[in-house]
Amino acid sequence: MIELKNLTKVYKDKVVVDHLSLDIKPGIVTGFLGPNGAGKSTTMRMILNLVKPSKGEVIIDGKHYIDLDQPISKIGALIDADALNPKLTALQHLQLIATASGITSSRVIEMLEKTGLEKVRNKQIGEYSLGMKQRLGIAAALLGNPETIILDEPFNGLDVDGIKWLRDLAKDLAKEGEAVLVSSHLMSEMQAIAERIIVLAQGKLLADMSVEEISQKSYSGYLRIKSENNSKLEDLLKKNGAYISKGEEASLQVRNVQSEKIGILAKENYIAIFELTKVQPSLEQLFLELTEGKVDYKSK
Amino acid sequence: MTINNRKSSLRNLIKAEYQKIAFLKSSKIFLIALIVASLMLGLIFALTTNVTQGKAISEIPPIDVISACMLGVDVTAIMLIIFAAISNAKEFSTKLIHVTLAVTPNRKRLFLSKLITYFLLGTVISLIVTALTFLAGQLILLANGRPMVSLADPFFRQFILGTLFMPVFYCLLTVAAIFVFRSGGGAITFSLGIMFVPALVKMFSQSIQKIILPLLPQASLHSLSGIASKGSYEILGIGASILLIFMWIGITSLIGTFQFVRKDV
Repeated sequence: MIELKNLTKVYKDKVVVDHLSLDIKPGIVTGFLGPNGAGKSTTMRMILNLVKPSKGEVIIDGKHYIDLDQPISKIGALIDADALNPKLTALQHLQLIATASGITSSRVIEMLEKTGLEKVRNKQIGEYSLGMKQRLGIAAALLGNPETIILDEPFNGLDVDGIKWLRDLAKDLAKEGEAVLVSSHLMSEMQAIAERIIVLAQGKLLADMSVEEISQKSYSGYLRIKSENNSKLEDLLKKNGAYISKGEEASLQVRNVQSEKIGILAKENYIAIFELTKVQPSLEQLFLELTEGKVDYKSK
Repeated sequence: MTINNRKSSLRNLIKAEYQKIAFLKSSKIFLIALIVASLMLGLIFALTTNVTQGKAISEIPPIDVISACMLGVDVTAIMLIIFAAISNAKEFSTKLIHVTLAVTPNRKRLFLSKLITYFLLGTVISLIVTALTFLAGQLILLANGRPMVSLADPFFRQFILGTLFMPVFYCLLTVAAIFVFRSGGGAITFSLGIMFVPALVKMFSQSIQKIILPLLPQASLHSLSGIASKGSYEILGIGASILLIFMWIGITSLIGTFQFVRKDV
């Protein structure tokens, strides 16, 4: 288990990560969201000790990353798909990592096959597309059969097949009990794979909850109701603590009351319900809601 | 899923550092070119004494023919500086260092593995070039009907050992300098600067030369190879020479390690 305790990074006078405390839990895919400059990549780099925290610490199974005997078997990471020597081949790149870590060559071949790079293993990385580099980075991350996988924007450059492959891979790894932390700006992808969402903005933790929890708390989620007597129902619901606004086509948008309660109230007051629909916000809506006013870089 | 996940040892790290060199075709070509260029330039230095010294080979002592040929080792030192700087700087410029540090987060250990790898590489290359240029010098003497020098002579043994050590020293200094400057250009400038600064110092007054020259590595290298002229400010004892060499590498390595450990990548 990875614990981030009060993690802070300050560059000159800019706080990039601000007293961040959270755990990365095994057996689930955790989505790491945030606008540009939110501190996602810096946090990931601090986990791997590439960037030194200004305050706080990262504890991995009770140890700092630097003190781990075999770090590659604890955390496998894809931080930057371009962090490769373009003159090496995929086989050589993985072989270097395997040699440094005492991992067998057969595992290298296994990872090349798993990531679909076996046919181009002797081609120089400089000739690879971004998607192929992402696959190679993922192969390197998986090489040590780590307990935690950290992937920073892994969907970038992947084609449709690649996206599906990575989605399945992340889910399979989580099913096997591994902790998977994925950052992405592709909300649809995060919605498809993540069970838990961590949202950062301006270095601060805005949300750390399951996708379901986040939907319930969202302003964008509501119940759409059409009835034979909207005004009477509106009064009844307001008395029961609901927040109501007018929707399209003579409907009501109701928040803060469960659908069961609405059904019972309508029945008791002889109001026929024509429609009672739960409107789920998309992750993108949730994200925009959470990060409203907390974006460093915004286009006009 | 079962994999053989052994703890990464210093030996593994050295092997990985060696692979970083051996896997690259350009590195192999550069190292072969280095050997050939060193030998060829050594031959040119030895065969052009009538131009450089105003005397034909038949007129100069055999030791001068051998030492002119072994100037090829100086070329090796310069080319090894360039090689060590470019190879290691590339790891920072391509950001491959992120991958390396994710696998080996102990930066002092990584630094040490690089230093050992380049010590071994520098030693092997220097041995080859020293042997080749020495043999070439002997052949030139033979071809000109001059007596060949004998390795039984302790002066020649000291000369060869001292000469052999020079490229290794500059190679290690450059590797350490890469971690100080994090730039190939910075490391090359630093090492070449250290190599050529004695020539600059010799332009100053005797009082300045007396203070600075014995502190520069050239004094140690010349003293170790026995070519520091008697009465010069460069002449040092064997113990002092070795100590000074270790100090140069040690201090540069300490600064390099400190920077590497302290700074983000």
